Parts: sequence; C-alpha cells; structure tokens
Amino acid sequence: MSTRIWSVGELVGAVNASLKAFGEVWVRGELSGFKVVGSGHRYFQLKDADGVLYCAMWASFADRLRFKLQEGLAVLARGRLEVYAQRGSLQLIVSEVRPEGIGELQLAFEQLKAKLAAEGLFAPERKRPLPALPQRLGLVTSSTGAAVRDVLKVLSRWPHLRVLLYPVRVQGRGAEGEIARAVRYLGRSGLIDVLLVVRGGGSLEDLWAFNEEVVARAIASSPVPVISGVGHEVDFTIADFVADIRAATPTQAAELVVSRLEAQLRRVDQASERAQRLFARRLEQARLRLRGAAGARGLARLPARIAELSERLRRLEALPRRLRALVQLRHRRLDGASARLFHWPVRFGAPRHREVVTVRLAVAAERLRALLQRRRLELAGAERALAALSPDNVLQRGFSITMREGEPAPLRDASQVQPGERLLTRLARGEIRSLALARQTATQPSLFADGDSDPGPRTPQGAAGGRQA
Amino acid sequence: MSKETFEDALAQLEEVVTKLEDDSVGLEEALKLFERGVKLARRCRTQLTQVEARVEQLLAEAAEGEEPPTRPFAAEEG
Repeated sequence: MSTRIWSVGELVGAVNASLKAFGEVWVRGELSGFKVVGSGHRYFQLKDADGVLYCAMWASFADRLRFKLQEGLAVLARGRLEVYAQRGSLQLIVSEVRPEGIGELQLAFEQLKAKLAAEGLFAPERKRPLPALPQRLGLVTSSTGAAVRDVLKVLSRWPHLRVLLYPVRVQGRGAEGEIARAVRYLGRSGLIDVLLVVRGGGSLEDLWAFNEEVVARAIASSPVPVISGVGHEVDFTIADFVADIRAATPTQAAELVVSRLEAQLRRVDQASERAQRLFARRLEQARLRLRGAAGARGLARLPARIAELSERLRRLEALPRRLRALVQLRHRRLDGASARLFHWPVRFGAPRHREVVTVRLAVAAERLRALLQRRRLELAGAERALAALSPDNVLQRGFSITMREGEPAPLRDASQVQPGERLLTRLARGEIRSLALARQTATQPSLFADGDSDPGPRTPQGAAGGRQA
Repeated sequence: MSKETFEDALAQLEEVVTKLEDDSVGLEEALKLFERGVKLARRCRTQLTQVEARVEQLLAEAAEGEEPPTRPFAAEEG
C-alpha cells in the first residue's frame, strides 16, 4: 500500500478547503488579547473554559462597529474558518461582532461615557453657568423638526433675543458630523452668547448622533456655554453629559434662557424700586429733622415778641402756615422799602426833577435804610424762611411792583390811579411803562389774603360797579 | 463686552441698594447713591432691551470675524 506524502502547502490547502464546509459560523466567547495593527486590522482571541480561537477582523469590517472591542467583552462573532498557511494556525476571519446580553448601541454608549468621564469631560467644575445676558443664541437643530418650533415658541416670550439657526440633520449616518461642525462653527463665530443643541424625542437609534464622540468633543471645546436639550426627560445622551447645562427637552432649553433674562429684569426692577423706596424714606427723615431743627433755631433767634407769638402759634399746631403768613406780612413792607430805596437813581433820572427828588430821597433813603435795618434785625431769625420770599424771589415768582411814573411809592390801591396816568411796573427783569386805561377799585379780596391780612371791603355790586371808563 | 458691563452694573446697583439700607449714610451721600442707582438701573434696562428679536438661518459659514450670510427664518407650522 502506498502512503501519500503531502507537501505542507498542499495539506494546509486541503484543510482549508474542507473548512469551507463549516460555512459562516457564529461563535460565542470572551474577547482577549485584542490588538490593532497599523493597517487597522484587529486581532484577538475568543476563548471559553475549554478552548481558544484566534480571530482576525479586517479594518473595513471593524470600522463599522459602533462599540469598541475590549478585553473581557462577552461577544458573538460571525465569520469563516481558515488555516493561516504561513503559521499553520486555525483562525476565524470575523465579519461581525455583537456584544452579548446588551445592545450594541447601549454598549457603545457605556463605553464612550466611561472614556469621556475618565478624561474628566463631565466634571462639574468644567460646567460654565448660563451667561448673565444670553441675548444672542446659536441654535443647532433641524430646521424642520418639532424642536425648532418648540424652542422659537418659548423664545418669542422675550422680545430682545437674536437667534442664529445652523440647520443640521439630527439623525442618520453623517448627522453627527454636521452637528459637530455646527457646534464648532457657531461656538467660535463670536456671534452668540450661548449655544442650544436640541432635538425632539425619538428612539435610541434616532438620538444616536448625540451619542457620538465627535459631537461630544465639539461641545466640550465650545468657547460659549452649551445647553443641550435632546429627546424627552428620560433620555440622556453623551451630549447631555458634556454640555454645560442639560435641559430635559428643547422647550426647557429655551425656557432656561428666557427665564434667565426675565429674572435679570426682575433683579434690576427690584433693586431700583428698593433704592427709590429707601431714598424717599431717607428724604422724609431728613425733612422731619430739618423742620424740627429750623423751627428750634428760628425761635431762639427771633425777638421775644415773635418768639412768644410763634410759640403760641406752635402750640396751636398751625406753625408752618402761620409763620409763613407772618413772614409774608413783614415782607410786603420790606418790598416797599427796597423798591423805594434801591431804584430811585434809575427811576428819577429825568433832569427837571433831579435836584428836588435827590434831596427828598436822600432823606427818605436814610429813614428807610434805618427802617430796613430794624426790620432785618427783627427778621434775622427767620432769614432762611425769608430767603424764599426775598424781594427778588417775589419778583421771580411772577409778582411785580407798579408805581405811578415819577413817584417812588408802590401802588397798593387802584383808586390811587386815574385813567390816563402813566405807570411804571417793575418785573423780575426789566420794567414796563404803561398808560392806565381804566381802573377797578377793590371789589374782591386780595388773591393772596389769608387769615392775617385785611382783604379790603367787598362791594356788593361786583366788578362792573367799580369800573370807570 | 456688553454682558460684562451688564453684570458689573447690576452688581453695582445691588451694592447701591445695600449702602442705602445703611441708615448711617448721610443725606448728601444717599442722594449721590440714589442718582447713581437710577443711572445703573437705566443702563441695565437698556442692555436688557437693546437687542431686537430676530431669527435667522445660517446659509453658509463665513471666516471668523465676518458676518455669515443668513436669511430670516420662520418655523413652518405642523
């Protein structure tokens, strides 16, 4: 009998051919000895208690995996068996790997989450607060979804917001790249204060783009704070973990911005109202103190007679009004004196009267100066109160002094004037010369009379009765 | 820029209020504080309301510092 002698190559080739009979196999095992070589191909072993199987997964297949092949992972692998001729070892050429006991998306999620957490990307100290004045918003979402409507609806509550929408696809292959690009662009544009990255609700698969590393990294490196609002309350994405602020939904993300601005306005209003209230209170206190002090000082300095009168009046609790009336009365006299005293040189400049007038006035002036001096002393204690009522201020307030032309005495009674007489009226600024047309004798009390002054007789006939043509 | 001055002005406004609460501050000083508070509040309100509502959609990216092309955006009802 002849014994067939194989060449190695022939034998390995024959074994390989017979292995084809297994076709595609699914193998359950634990992943170990994982490594990636320069070409991107993955090599690992699958093992269980009873055996080891060497595996190779070419880069073109491995790159499609959403999760990472990791040491110790329980997996199901699909592939074909072959003998690697150069080494004579059996290996499984793997075309697909599935995690066992967990969805692959779930696994990918957990893996990325653990990785980024280890890098410190979720650390609370990295989180930036919402800016004080988030008025320019970047919005990264689909331009057609419910999310953009929800966001704009809430934002419309505050009429001082500028929104720049960067429309992106929010699901499907490639969406993560668009989202990441939009986040990077808007964040660095200098056009916005805060960035909203939102998407309405959907399945884990729908929301997947927000679980991609490229999106997470774009958010983490955004120069402006990012608010994420993806899916519903129960959905957490990697984007949520890495964002500065996680809102439960797109609506809530917008709500955060608007309520921030509303709160800021409230703060301003409250502070300014409080300042007004406090200042008004302070002013009232000061006014009360001042009144007390001025009253006391004034009394001490008034001549005894006035002090006595004032004291009595104060007891009657009518001090302010009465004192004012008193001051006013004295003041009217002063007005007359001042007018006569201070204005004669101007008033009596007409040459034919000058000499007579000058002599007469020299005497009058001396007398008046003395009178004025007395009055001044008498009123020294009430000086402050007087200031408001000084002759100048009286004129400033719109009163005027009228004299018959050529006569220094202020007119007090219309009956002193005949129609046709020339009059001179002194105002706060300047004088008016006028011709009396008619007069109306006192038919009504003085406009300014109060309890202390005599209003003069009333004539029952009324205004017309006293009129002369 | 504006957000810093807003925060700053608001903080100063609140400080003015705190100072006004102190009764030992004289009337002169209180008046000054109050006037300052009024100015600060006005500045804050101006900043809060200076932006005009606008929703725009980016049409293309532009280089940093340049205004990108946009068009007004209105979400379609649905």
